[in-house]
Amino acid sequence: MPSWLIWLIPAFPLLGFLINILFVRNGRAAGLLACAAVALSFVASLAAIAMLAGTPEEARRITSTLWEWISIGQFRVPFGLLFDPLTAVMTLLVTGVGGLIHVYSLGYMREDERPVRYFANLNLFVFAMLMLVMADNMLLLFLGWEGVGLCSFLLIGHYFDRRSVPPGLVPSDAAVKAFVVNRVGDAAFLLAIMAIFSQLGSLSFYANEALGIAGYLEQAAMSGFTQVDLGIFGTIGVATAIGLLLLIGVAGKSAQFPLYTWLTDAMAGPTPVSALIHAATMVTAGVYLIARNHTVFEASPTAAGWVVAVGLITAALGALAAVPQFDIKRVLAYSTISQLGYMVTAVGLGAYVGGMFHLLTHGLFKALLFLAAGAVIHALHDVQDMRRMGGLRERMPQTFRLYAVGALALAGIFPLAGFWSKDEIIAYAWFSVQNPGAAIILMLSAAVTAFYMGRQLALIFAGRPREAGHVEHAHDPEPVMSIPLWILAAGALIGGVMNLPGLHWLSTFLEPTLQEPEVVFDTGRIIGQVILALVTTLLSVGGLYLGWTLYGRRFASRIRVGRDDPLQHYLGDIWRGAEIGWGLDWIYNRLVVRPYREISVFLWDIFDRQGIDQILVEGPARLIGRAGQVLRVGQSGYVRNYALVFLIGVVLVVGYFALLS
Amino acid sequence: MIPTGYYVALAGVLFALGVIGVLTRRNALVVFMSVELMLNSANLAIVAFANARQDTAGQILVFFTIVVAAAEVAVGLALLVQIFRTKRTTDVDEINLLKG
Amino acid sequence: MELVLFAITALVAIVGAVAMLLSSNAIHSALFLLLNFCAIAVLYLLLNAPFLFAIQLIIYAGAIIVLFLFAVMLLGAERAEDERDTIAWQRPVALVMGLILAAQVAYVVLTGTPAPAGGQDAAFGAPERIARELFTTYLLPFEVTAMLILAALVGVVVLHIREKRQVS
Repeated sequence: MPSWLIWLIPAFPLLGFLINILFVRNGRAAGLLACAAVALSFVASLAAIAMLAGTPEEARRITSTLWEWISIGQFRVPFGLLFDPLTAVMTLLVTGVGGLIHVYSLGYMREDERPVRYFANLNLFVFAMLMLVMADNMLLLFLGWEGVGLCSFLLIGHYFDRRSVPPGLVPSDAAVKAFVVNRVGDAAFLLAIMAIFSQLGSLSFYANEALGIAGYLEQAAMSGFTQVDLGIFGTIGVATAIGLLLLIGVAGKSAQFPLYTWLTDAMAGPTPVSALIHAATMVTAGVYLIARNHTVFEASPTAAGWVVAVGLITAALGALAAVPQFDIKRVLAYSTISQLGYMVTAVGLGAYVGGMFHLLTHGLFKALLFLAAGAVIHALHDVQDMRRMGGLRERMPQTFRLYAVGALALAGIFPLAGFWSKDEIIAYAWFSVQNPGAAIILMLSAAVTAFYMGRQLALIFAGRPREAGHVEHAHDPEPVMSIPLWILAAGALIGGVMNLPGLHWLSTFLEPTLQEPEVVFDTGRIIGQVILALVTTLLSVGGLYLGWTLYGRRFASRIRVGRDDPLQHYLGDIWRGAEIGWGLDWIYNRLVVRPYREISVFLWDIFDRQGIDQILVEGPARLIGRAGQVLRVGQSGYVRNYALVFLIGVVLVVGYFALLS
Repeated sequence: MIPTGYYVALAGVLFALGVIGVLTRRNALVVFMSVELMLNSANLAIVAFANARQDTAGQILVFFTIVVAAAEVAVGLALLVQIFRTKRTTDVDEINLLKG
Repeated sequence: MELVLFAITALVAIVGAVAMLLSSNAIHSALFLLLNFCAIAVLYLLLNAPFLFAIQLIIYAGAIIVLFLFAVMLLGAERAEDERDTIAWQRPVALVMGLILAAQVAYVVLTGTPAPAGGQDAAFGAPERIARELFTTYLLPFEVTAMLILAALVGVVVLHIREKRQVS
């Protein structure tokens, strides 16, 4: 079968976007078209995987180049796609989960004022994300990278005409914040691209025989010891430089410390958007990036070390910050930040398969959680403060079960999907790279994760309703919204089979691309892993139970809107610090936003209005006016006066000639 | 022989007197008379120089000047009469429409 | 002898001019101007210009002064101007400037190089000489001047035409 068929995968959503934005007026039609586009894309992905199976293991890759995009001397970039196991995994996630979210949106966005715009942007996003994961060179990947950033901006700002959205966000401001913070990462990404080209000679991942372009990933593996001279700043390894720059890009896009401030504000967008973009796909682009560029990080332990550090900090801070939140989506946002930290730590340690595994399972259960949260919000007519909920277990039993599945999966309870993926990462840290510190931090974060999920479940579903009026009318969502939820829940339940220890289907599948060494399961390792698993399970179950009982029974009566959380009494300032996301927003505000505003106001008011407008523009005008006024005095109107002036002139001229000649 | 300079000096004095008259008096007709005085002083100077250089051209020039001056006085007085008849005054300071 | 004549005539001319300036009655001013013109005519005579002497008396003293007198009487302008001067500094500055001008002329006359003297010509200033020059070398200006006078004549008439509609 011809290789250009892989172009169909991104082509369907692109077509969906174009038709929607140009021709469609009816919201219902737009939604159906969008769902169809993504569904077709999913089918195409499956077909591509079938094609992939037909290729030999050493060259498990389908490529298709449309044309040579840029050709300036040595700088040659093709416009081409590739389809290998890593891409396949991402494509299935994007189109599969994306498709389910599209269907869910049909119900959720039914009363929206701008449905066509929403579905068009959603399709555009899927297209950009697919371009990102299917690009065969860094520049085309960057195109997708920027594209998803743009769509994130458009979709977060979907309610741009609303002044404020719970819990007090301004959608247009949140959209701008997302874009700007991403930009910081993008700047570093661009520098990384330049570094790759200048030091490694090419931007294509693998060699492109058709156009005669070399691939740089192989070169990177051998460049670990090449140094680059930075003048007065000393020297730095090529791979280290590229790796660090890529890390900053990942920090921006995947909301790692210290660039995670945009993700919590991004919750101002519609909930399906939060599910798709900010849980399952866009934010995972960073993890994909590192996985794809694994040779670079393998060649530079320094860069990899930094990746791990950033990932661990993010995992811990994110988990802790999720605990005190009262907004239902904010808990999930910080949770996402924390889980992304897990993924980044994994790929930093070298557990590429582990990272991808967690990426997949997280995509499933986080999307489930977000969509279920959306069902709750929808049922309560846009109430997002958990202090106003409670007792929804009886009113929305289906939703409760779905949410519980998602929460248990996230907490890593055996035998749901999250348990397997988290454990794989922790085991890798402990056994494969002998980094017990990382493992312990991850385990403790897992405990905190379980705690806050238990807390959230209790606040929403347990006990009696705290605000009677709203809760009375709550009911389970309609089938168009609940069926995708059940599918996702099924995935969360049995997703672990993707990479069970011993069977390792995912590892085997991804091996041609990631070339990760096989795990040797000797007796020692098996026992060790079982012990580790028991410990983590204990921690998770403990955390979950603690959260559920504390907030379901003991504190239940003390939860009220406007009153502090009961635990704040014991933890004081730490609680407060966690609640505001560890003050990063505050720091950026003081350090960057305020000075920028001051400079802008200065330039506008003083420099432009007063300086240029008044002094330079009005100044001469007024000067001329004044001069005119002064000179006006001379126009007395009397003839004799004019004659006198003549005479004065004559006397002067005659005097000049008389005296000088 | 009287030195030419004396004549020229006299012409200068008369000219200055004429200028002062133009600038100082407010009666339009006296102003006009002062102008004629200036013309005459100039004529005197030219005739003095013509005599010094024994050049007839100077005298002919003065002849023409006198003729033209006559014509000019005629027209000028006609204008003055027109202007000041409507205003019923002969004060030059009343003509101040150019006042800015 | 000539010097005495010159001195007296010059004095008369200056006195006439000053009196013209200072007199408050316009008729008196005109008559003093007449005196001045006559003095200048005598000076022309002293300067070997008898033709101009005659012309001066005929045209200036005869025609122009008469025109002035007619105009004064037509406008009733003999009365004095009121004392208040609209521009305070006009008179003083004018006097000063005038004096400076006179001083400048005197300075030039006294310190400048004199004009080159022409040869002695017995027939200089005679009417025949002037007539010959006038009708040969300067014929064109002569004719043009004639047209100029015609134009002035027509102009004066036009200035005083009244529209038929106006009540005359």
